[in-house]
Amino acid sequence: MTRAWSWFFSLVAIGTLALLVGIFVWQSLPVWRHEGWGYLTGTKWFFRQQEFGAWPMIYGSIVVSGVALVLAAPFGMGAAIFTAEYLPRAPRLAVKVLIELLAGVPSVVYGLLGILLLRNWIYDLFAPFDPLSGDTLLTAGVLLAVMILPTVVTLGDDALRAVPAAQRRAARALGLTRAETILHVALPQARRGLGAALLLALGRAFGETIAVFLVVGRQDNNLPERLLSLRPLLESGQTLTSKLGGSETNISYGDPLHWAAIVGLGLILLVLTGALTVIGTAFGRRSDA
Amino acid sequence: MQNRIVAALSLLSLALATNAETLKINGSTTVNLPVAEAAEILRAEQKMEIQVDTQGGSSGGISMLGDGMVQVGMSSKPVSAEDRAKYPNAAIRETHIGEDAVALIVSKDVWEGGVKALTKQQIKDIYESRITNWKAVGGKPQRIAFFNKEPGRGTWEVFVHWVYRSPKAAPQVSFPEVGGNEETRNKVAATRGALSQLSSSWADGKKVFALGLKLEDGTVVHPTTESIATKQYPLSRPLFLLTNGEPAGGAKTLVDFVLGERGQELVKKHGYLRLKDLK
Amino acid sequence: MRRLGDFLLAALAGLCALVSVGILVGLVFVVAQRGAPALSWSFFTEQIRLVGAAGGIFWNLVGTMILLASACLICGPMAIGLALVECVWLRGDRSRRALRTVLYTLNGLPSILFGLFGFIVFVQWLDWGKSWLIGGIVLALGMLPTVSVALIERLKAIPASYVEAAAALGLSRAQIVWAVLLPQAWGGLITGSLLGLARAAGETAPIMFTCTIFAGATWPRGIVESPVLTLPYHIFILAQDSFDPAVGAKLWGAALVLLGLVFFLSLIALPSRLKMHEEANA
Repeated sequence: MTRAWSWFFSLVAIGTLALLVGIFVWQSLPVWRHEGWGYLTGTKWFFRQQEFGAWPMIYGSIVVSGVALVLAAPFGMGAAIFTAEYLPRAPRLAVKVLIELLAGVPSVVYGLLGILLLRNWIYDLFAPFDPLSGDTLLTAGVLLAVMILPTVVTLGDDALRAVPAAQRRAARALGLTRAETILHVALPQARRGLGAALLLALGRAFGETIAVFLVVGRQDNNLPERLLSLRPLLESGQTLTSKLGGSETNISYGDPLHWAAIVGLGLILLVLTGALTVIGTAFGRRSDA
Repeated sequence: MQNRIVAALSLLSLALATNAETLKINGSTTVNLPVAEAAEILRAEQKMEIQVDTQGGSSGGISMLGDGMVQVGMSSKPVSAEDRAKYPNAAIRETHIGEDAVALIVSKDVWEGGVKALTKQQIKDIYESRITNWKAVGGKPQRIAFFNKEPGRGTWEVFVHWVYRSPKAAPQVSFPEVGGNEETRNKVAATRGALSQLSSSWADGKKVFALGLKLEDGTVVHPTTESIATKQYPLSRPLFLLTNGEPAGGAKTLVDFVLGERGQELVKKHGYLRLKDLK
Repeated sequence: MRRLGDFLLAALAGLCALVSVGILVGLVFVVAQRGAPALSWSFFTEQIRLVGAAGGIFWNLVGTMILLASACLICGPMAIGLALVECVWLRGDRSRRALRTVLYTLNGLPSILFGLFGFIVFVQWLDWGKSWLIGGIVLALGMLPTVSVALIERLKAIPASYVEAAAALGLSRAQIVWAVLLPQAWGGLITGSLLGLARAAGETAPIMFTCTIFAGATWPRGIVESPVLTLPYHIFILAQDSFDPAVGAKLWGAALVLLGLVFFLSLIALPSRLKMHEEANA
């Protein structure tokens, strides 16, 4: 009986997930038929003209998460090194608890702080560069950086602590200083876990909806001429998540092609975040006995 | 035992009956202001169950009414033939409850830089990105930061109707988007060279300023109560409560209230024109 | 020279830690400072009036509580089932790894996808309209990895000797589950659920299409067409659509209350988590 119930509930859970993926694939079929691979590479999204290209949004998501990671990684890693290597047990736990608590701050609160504070700071700070407004990819990236910072610190700390103490003792016995031990022994040994931490944080940034929606500007089709230019950082943009959280999702249900295009964005998001999470977890799996 | 069954059934039917009476409303954030307050009054005085939401703006109101998910839709634009065709089973009936106007608002620096009115052609050029700097229309050199209203918003459709005659004829453009009225006002107020479409009652003349429209004969019309009432200001738009067929039951109570003295006062309180103000 | 390097690294790392903690504590402080003026007895016990400019957030709190309670109840059995299957019933490392991969992947999925899923299946196909139950289901799905993993960890931490002793006494596997494993793992279930709830309480994206509206809902009647008011959605809408400066303080007040709720849920899970941490390291 117990066994049957366990399997039943497990299958309900797994079945629901399979259903989720299935629905996203099935409901987005019309747009794949309509656009083919152009759906992924197309640079224009004009729903009234039935033209659906998701690339500007994929680009936006990548830029925003990339900025977040670039900003959060140094601070997060530094903080993780500090908690893992320098703090004695009790303060370390206290800091970890604090950081984890702060990791739970809801995204809508971040969004609020973003529109009412961060937006104007960025607008004023970068005024010499003539941004259009305070809603830019950079603003969203900075906000996301603060959001994923706790994740980087916590997972980074875990990764460093997973390196056996014996390794550090051996290094010190050989005469290395604390810094050298950390840089040449602990960090390299923890690199898988650290890499996983960064990938998972990236995945989280990629999937964030509400905070990004409020500050990214929600401007479609705003791709730069040169792919690697920095200008888009100071321009408004659109990400996969900000589009999904916006008004088109509400109004498109009656139109099969438009709805398929929206669901298609969800599918792309699913695949990309799923991939990031799987790779990140597998990467760090080595330390899993 | 029988008593218990009867008791249970009557409780059930009471629950179902009261459920049937829940009045659901959805639609435009513009119309929402007086209607939400009217709903509060009706809830308090007549113990009605009313649920109000603003998902999807005017289009959301129409589509949810058409889908049968709400009994009353709020719209700040007339229901088009296309909208009606999408919902053949619903006889969408518009009840006019007031009038509002769409203003083109600018930030303080633009207003004080000398731009106080635009012609339709200039607006078209800005919308299609042929003009990208305020100096081309008489202002100080500053990039035009145009915030376009989200698709589906009544405000946007009214704007596009005037400039292009229909949403279908409007070219596809890509500007940063804004959603509700408050977001629009905040973003325009906080950005240099900003321009957007906004309900005229929200242009307070302190944070954001309503431009006048230069008509073909050269006169400049600002959105004032007078010019909206006489329809001299061309961007006026009716505020509607939409129902499926004639309003009945809870919907009728709401509609009657909003059309009555107190309801119309609410309309005026939120900056719109009452029916009797129109000429 | 090497000593300088030592000092530099420590200083840099400490600086990073300070900045990290500082930013995060700072933002909580900002919310607290702006939101505190709005907190009063009436804020908690009244309903919203004037599109958020007056009144309080009573029904929003009620709605959020309803969603959390139903999410917890729906998630529980599934998490227990998954944990038991992983630890007790499944044979072979590969299937166990597969299950855990599924769980971790699920954990990384953006919550808006669950919201869309709920919208398609329940709001549209099953024609439920907006309903609190859909919110519960969607949030339960989001919580599932957190609770399952917490349970699995807890089950793993049960000393093998307990299980062996029970087996030696002749108990069947099912009996071992009920007599030994579940009582010990109960703490893990509570802790995992609290953590999952802390995350679920702040979610906006999955609930905005499926179960919440802005004004007018009180106690849900029945399942179909029964939305609720919620705290995160309230904040989200007002952040874009408030019309009155008076809304300002109330908006921050609502944000502060939401923060408080999330922190509270995380904190009560803390003693139990610390204990498990101790036991794991012992």
